[in-house]
Amino acid sequence: MLDPVILAQILWTGIATSAPYVLMTVGFALTLKVTGLWNFAHAGLMAIAFYTIYFVLNFCDLPVVVALPAALIVTGAASLAIEIAGLQVLRDRGSGNLTFFIFTLILSELIIYVITLLFGTEPETLFKSILSPVTIVANIAVSDWDELAVAVAASGLVLLYAFLTWSREGQFLNAVADNARLAELYGISAKRAWRVVSVISAMFIVASMYLIGTHGGVVPNSPLELIITAVIGTLLGGIGRVFAAAAAAVFLGLLQSFSILIIDSRWQNLLLYGVLFITIVVFPRGVRLPPLRLIWTTR
Amino acid sequence: MEYLATIGVLIAIYVILSSSYNLVIGYGGLSTVAHPIFFAVGAYTAGLLAIHSGLPAVCNVILGGLAAMLASVLLAASALRVSGDYLLIASLGFQLGLLQLIKNLDFTGGPGGLTAIPGTVTGAARTPFFLIVSGLLAVATVWGIRIIVTGPYGRAITAMRDEELAFTALGRDATSMKVVIFAVGCGIAGIAGGVYAYYFQYISPDQFDVLQSAAILTMVVLGGMGTTFGPVVGAVLLLAIPQAITFLNLPPSIMAPTQGIIFTVLVLLFLFLRPAGIVGLSRKTL
Repeated sequence: MLDPVILAQILWTGIATSAPYVLMTVGFALTLKVTGLWNFAHAGLMAIAFYTIYFVLNFCDLPVVVALPAALIVTGAASLAIEIAGLQVLRDRGSGNLTFFIFTLILSELIIYVITLLFGTEPETLFKSILSPVTIVANIAVSDWDELAVAVAASGLVLLYAFLTWSREGQFLNAVADNARLAELYGISAKRAWRVVSVISAMFIVASMYLIGTHGGVVPNSPLELIITAVIGTLLGGIGRVFAAAAAAVFLGLLQSFSILIIDSRWQNLLLYGVLFITIVVFPRGVRLPPLRLIWTTR
Repeated sequence: MEYLATIGVLIAIYVILSSSYNLVIGYGGLSTVAHPIFFAVGAYTAGLLAIHSGLPAVCNVILGGLAAMLASVLLAASALRVSGDYLLIASLGFQLGLLQLIKNLDFTGGPGGLTAIPGTVTGAARTPFFLIVSGLLAVATVWGIRIIVTGPYGRAITAMRDEELAFTALGRDATSMKVVIFAVGCGIAGIAGGVYAYYFQYISPDQFDVLQSAAILTMVVLGGMGTTFGPVVGAVLLLAIPQAITFLNLPPSIMAPTQGIIFTVLVLLFLFLRPAGIVGLSRKTL
């Protein structure tokens, strides 16, 4: 019989650890929803975000309040440049999905090679120590990093929900996501929506890479592995359902955390890819839970 | 000279890989990116058989091809239910999952890879021998695929790719045709893997990752998808040009990323300047 405290600890740690994945999944899923593209260039943007913060903190000796805005500016500008000079050109040309796949993946590789040349292949953390003070709450160890991660992810989701629901720009994004051509007939610029979403996703990427870089080591190649989690979360949640993708990312985090109770930790990634494959084959439109209202009705 | 011959062997292997991938994606219209995993299955099967069995090298390479074919049928049986982007991502999941399996199994050598694969030929004749064998296999692959796609079966493949609904309405079985194309293409990749394992005598999971998928896909697309000689041109160009800086004698920490930068910049340039591929027959965009 497992100790409930241990289970609660795994649950909390799983939720906290999944927070950066939630952020990157939301950025990826939102981009897919609005642009209709599997934008693997997000892996390159993740590398840019992490190494910008790392550079400002460790080479320029400047504080986090400078490093984070710098990363937001650099990553946002890179994301916007990719949208305007890359994706829009391919769209105008009527390119097919494979071309977008190659472009975004190869661009990520290029960014990663350049960063490898500049920073090497040693794992780097944003701060010299990644140890975080711990407090015990109801017999569960809660670190400052856990609290920060959960708070950042939760507030990111709330702000995004508010933006998409109540702001005019957010409603335009929804309109373009639903039908870009129809939206244009009503005077909504699809190009503008795609640019806005590229900047918003950059913000989520910066937040997620800050959390990842303060919790463990990152090598230039790490984002290519991290992006797979975002892809799985997006698929599991269902394409076009950004907040369900966020929930799926939490589920994946919990699945990995609880899996240590029954399988060796080295098999955790296999579990992740297994979920990806099964999701695609069995649930190509994502997992849809029955609405709560229906449960009430049947009762 | 030895170095140039090694590059020649590598180019021949990649011509086989990209041409077989072209059969799957260019002619068959099956958007998968998992081709390197079948290359890996062939390489690991041949490598393990070479270490643990007394079978001749030719048998091991053929068995590697058959193992890759079997693995492709497993993927096709489940994943060909979906198409387009979904198939692309499903194949990616299959590839990463199988690689993870290879990384964690002890008998495959784990993340460190499979070492000490016995060589078939030793001495000064080794590299020229492999250059001739891989070159002949590359020519046979390109020629064989050309025969397939220009014959009646090839016309049926093209019809299935372009108008699957009409093809099915005529009473033809699109699914079985897809499985056959997939199995043949992946089986050829498995044979290439066997030759690779015997030549380099060392294989590791990292050699078959998602970057390999991007590399082979790029060779096909930039050479000219759905053309016989496009993948050949793509493989030669994208493998040969980054090697030019090898003679600068840069340290490995600079050489590897610089070669990567040259490769990726070339891809991006061709993607924007020559979107239909170098051997593209028309000006249609991909």
